[in-house]
Amino acid sequence: MKEKNSTTASTLGRILATCSKQAKDYGSCVASKVHEVEKDLCLKEFLALKNCMQHTVKIMSSRPSSSQTSVGSGALSHAYIQHPSLHCNIPESRGLFYDDANRLLICVTSSQVFSWETAPPFNPDVSPSVDSVPEGPILSVRFSLDEKVIAVQRSDCEIQFFHRETKKKLTHKCRAGSESILGFFWSDSPLCDLAVVKTSGMDLFACDSAMNLRLVETKKVNVNWYIYTHESRLVLLASGLQCKTITGFQLSTAGVVRLPKFEMTLATTESNSKPIISAGDVHLVTVYGRIYCLQVDREAMLLHTYRFYRDAVVQQGSLPIYSSKLSVSVVDNLLLVHQIDAKVVIIYDLFVDSRAPVSAPLPLLWRGYQGSDSSSQAANKENKSPESSTSNENIVMYEDAWAFLVPDLILDQTNKVLWRVHLDLEAISASSSDRTSLLEFLQRRKLEANKAKQLCLGIARALILERRPATQVTQAIDVLVTAYSYSVKAGIYKELKNEKTTATPPTDGASPDNERGRASGSSIDGEEEVEMDLPSGSSDEQQESQLSSPAISPDELYKFVFASVEETMVEESDYLVAIITEFLRSISAEKLKVDLNIYVMTVRLLARSKRFAELSLFITNKIIEPSKEVALQLLESGGQNLRVRKLGLDMLRQLSLHHEYISSLVQDGYYLEALRYAQKRKVTSVRSSLFLEAAFASNDMQHLAAILRVLSELIPGFKETSEYYTFHGLLNETSSSVAV
Amino acid sequence: MASMSSGDESLRLCVFDLRRGQTEGQELDKILFFHPPELDVSTQLSVTGLSEGLITFTRLFSPEAACEVIEAERHSHVFYEPEPDIWMVMGMLKEVHSLFVMFHGSVRALLEKEPTGGLTRAQLYPFITDYLSNLFVGKKHQLPNFRETTLSERGTVQMLTLSKDTSLEVQSLVQVLDSCGGNLRCHTMILFQDLLVSTTLSPNDTVNLFTFAVMRLTSQALSSDASSWSYLRKGTGSSEASSRSTSAPLGSDNMHSVIRPLQNDKWTKGKDGFLVTDIWGLETGGSPDSIIPAVWLQQTQERVYLLAYQYKSLTLLLLLSTTAILNGDLSVSDVKQQVIEQASLRIMKIEEKISRGWGGENAYHVKGYRYLVVDSGLEVSRASPSGKVATLAKESLLALNKLREEVDLEKSRAKRQERDLEICIRAKNNAWVITRVTRGKELYMALEKASDTLLDATDAVGRFSNRYCSGAFLMD
Repeated sequence: MKEKNSTTASTLGRILATCSKQAKDYGSCVASKVHEVEKDLCLKEFLALKNCMQHTVKIMSSRPSSSQTSVGSGALSHAYIQHPSLHCNIPESRGLFYDDANRLLICVTSSQVFSWETAPPFNPDVSPSVDSVPEGPILSVRFSLDEKVIAVQRSDCEIQFFHRETKKKLTHKCRAGSESILGFFWSDSPLCDLAVVKTSGMDLFACDSAMNLRLVETKKVNVNWYIYTHESRLVLLASGLQCKTITGFQLSTAGVVRLPKFEMTLATTESNSKPIISAGDVHLVTVYGRIYCLQVDREAMLLHTYRFYRDAVVQQGSLPIYSSKLSVSVVDNLLLVHQIDAKVVIIYDLFVDSRAPVSAPLPLLWRGYQGSDSSSQAANKENKSPESSTSNENIVMYEDAWAFLVPDLILDQTNKVLWRVHLDLEAISASSSDRTSLLEFLQRRKLEANKAKQLCLGIARALILERRPATQVTQAIDVLVTAYSYSVKAGIYKELKNEKTTATPPTDGASPDNERGRASGSSIDGEEEVEMDLPSGSSDEQQESQLSSPAISPDELYKFVFASVEETMVEESDYLVAIITEFLRSISAEKLKVDLNIYVMTVRLLARSKRFAELSLFITNKIIEPSKEVALQLLESGGQNLRVRKLGLDMLRQLSLHHEYISSLVQDGYYLEALRYAQKRKVTSVRSSLFLEAAFASNDMQHLAAILRVLSELIPGFKETSEYYTFHGLLNETSSSVAV
Repeated sequence: MASMSSGDESLRLCVFDLRRGQTEGQELDKILFFHPPELDVSTQLSVTGLSEGLITFTRLFSPEAACEVIEAERHSHVFYEPEPDIWMVMGMLKEVHSLFVMFHGSVRALLEKEPTGGLTRAQLYPFITDYLSNLFVGKKHQLPNFRETTLSERGTVQMLTLSKDTSLEVQSLVQVLDSCGGNLRCHTMILFQDLLVSTTLSPNDTVNLFTFAVMRLTSQALSSDASSWSYLRKGTGSSEASSRSTSAPLGSDNMHSVIRPLQNDKWTKGKDGFLVTDIWGLETGGSPDSIIPAVWLQQTQERVYLLAYQYKSLTLLLLLSTTAILNGDLSVSDVKQQVIEQASLRIMKIEEKISRGWGGENAYHVKGYRYLVVDSGLEVSRASPSGKVATLAKESLLALNKLREEVDLEKSRAKRQERDLEICIRAKNNAWVITRVTRGKELYMALEKASDTLLDATDAVGRFSNRYCSGAFLMD
């Protein structure tokens, strides 16, 4: 894995180094014009960059060293599709459909409906469930949310329902001639179970277990086309000559909410004074629990973004586009805009206010097998599975037959395979220079939490090892600590018990049943919230429950960052002290706890860099919390400085670690103080021989005499013990002049 | 040698070098400083002669440790040998010597550099007079009142206790300030009013710089300069001193610039928050180096520039390596700029935070106790506020004074070894006056509740020790 990281990084590095000028030009152009609405914004710069990159990649891939099997315009990418794919090649197939509510890929023949679960990861060997339906044309298919009923749209005025268990059949028709059915979807709102969108509006039906349809409500709107995603539970109905007047409804578990009507923005040109928006130009995306609508404005070459709030729709700026054909995917809350003509994908993080892309436009990549990407393993698998090797050859990136499914699937209708889009976090990290925002970016990742976490740890380590200015490291630490604190408060963070097992996410618990169960349990009525609620049970929440978050606990930061760099930075204790001070400040500001090892380390570093003044301030002001371990480290470091040793002794006393305190006092020659303390605190665990031996070892017979005397007064019957005789004898031998 | 005689007359103070003026008729060369300067030369010579005689005589009996105090019927001689063969008067004169060395380097080094002693005298005269003028302002030249000094310890630092949060903010600020000096480590010291908040210096250097800062730089020193001080100065105190210093009998050598770092009322706060003074400036001209205040650090034997920044009650001292600046690796204006850009916001926040949590001048008052705690290892002390100490009966103060003398004597006997000591005295007014010395820490306490038994008193000390000294003073 490591090998691959470094090769990816270095490949990227080389390409970016070669094209640095073009990349910079393009980046600064985009950054400077983000808010402007202008056609072909930065197109010149973009094409220059693209050409440069493709050229570089060509040169590099012509070298034999490239071991990775990949298709696309080059081995360099930030997003990729990867084996295994889901094959849905059914003979005599008449069409492929995607039921996003149940996440089912559906293939129909004249009389059969095949359906595959598409929950990750794909299992290429899984066989589809098969249902028979009467012969007839099929315009669209959707399973009811409990998957008991299959609904098939037969024509623009007829939908048929088939119960999979009772085999009951029902036909629903609209008034032929005056209106036609545009489509339908199932709903989990309490009001209705099914919505049928027609040219004259939307009919909402309740459907009981016996599959009786009852019209509940009709929303009268003239509709040209509509879009719906189950993820957002939002349906947008387009009307008007240019189809730019949008009426929206959210059919969530809280009921049916009507959104304020809004107009989409369309630029006009002389040649096209009345452009028309088609359904394919509008995309509903859900990121970070927010619902956005993206709309292509071809004349302006812009992708307008609108954000839905409960009581408002707010346009939120526009993204430049470089292709007249465009589609979007959402992976791990990131927006991927596929510039289909240019065959590149641009990644945006809508979380930040800036509309600058996360990284430069790069092609989508096809990758071999996951895991330790050694070519031998990939080749092995390819031998075993002939399908994959053939698909390898047949893949044409962004071909016309590609359909982009919500949120992150690509259906290749030519090859009849379904791909999932993945992000290459390593590549994105490697190409980002602002490491603070990169850390923030990585901390927001949930899909590959462990990878994001490891990358963050690596970045933090690198920042320190490269001896970056303390302010920069501080920012990075602040990002990590705040993210951790947030995730603890939100209850997302879970300790990684075994990092190896969590690297591959468990597959269970991702079934749509599970999702629905939770979705129905939630409500979206929170009036105090201005934000438009996202129905719970959305895909990213599900992933949260399976994976730990990339948040890094203070203990892990200590273990994997500070402790790991300490050895190599022995000479730079000053620098490490500065970093750790900031770390402790950050921790304290977030009211978090740290492992006491970090304190021990701080003591060690301060003592090593001879910063005794600060060390005593750290101790007296309790920046370093007292503990036995810290006290012992102080005693050890105090070998070079008596003041530090005293701090250690004081700490032992404060912690009532009587035994250690007394032993240390004795070790330092404070016999009487030790005895006094032992007597005062009634410490019996310390043997009297400890004092005697220490005094004897000090070679000061006066001490020994004094202690013998004190002990004989303190302990009744001490004079009768063998200890007394031994030491008394020793005393007399050594110096007869001292009287006891 | 220094001899200080305090009796009916005001104090006499003298610094002399035994190695000098060994030949007949050259005796005057021994004297590096004499106070009061208007005293005739023969009296000056007789005082130094007596002191030298006493030192030489007592050396016969104790060649290792020199005599420190001789108490005669009507006056006492106090001797202090801060550098080999350079003698001064003890106690607070340790302080003036340390300060002198901080600004000018050791007297020995000065004499070696310039064997006539002219420069040394020229520097010593105004320095010590400035120092004394501060102590005795508006009064007759007497040793400080025992009421004010009984429960305080010269040569220690008074710390501000901070919460963990604030302390972390402060330490973080220290790191930021440190980085303002580029790659070189830059030492810092932070004070809130007259209390130490943070230091990166060794205890000795901390004490010296702290003493100086409290005298001249802190917000309180500056504000007293501006108000009551200037009024007083015009009266008796320092105008007298300054006129004397300029007319120093041995004359100042025009070849050397005389710098008077302790001169009063010479520091003001600039617009950018940095404190400015012309003590080092203007007169000399020449090298740009000479106009920036500079001090010697004992620990590293390094000369550093002193930059002081002040925001309300917070005073920050930055010490920059002179070599780095003379080499051109670092420029003072760059550092100032860095401090303003990187740290001023934090400084503001910290000042606010500390001010909010600060309990005022009686913050460290403990009800029912009048105390002084000294940690000689860290050179830190804390005492009851002087306003509270002033309420003690005279008898208690006298007993305390006696007790402190006793402890000093005991400590000087033990020399470098740490002694354990415990003394309880019942004063004439039935107050308990108690001291406990253990492992480099000293506690002095007066308890004026007459009905207390000895047991009650030791219990009270125990409670105090546990509550405020983390149990450092265990009583029998």
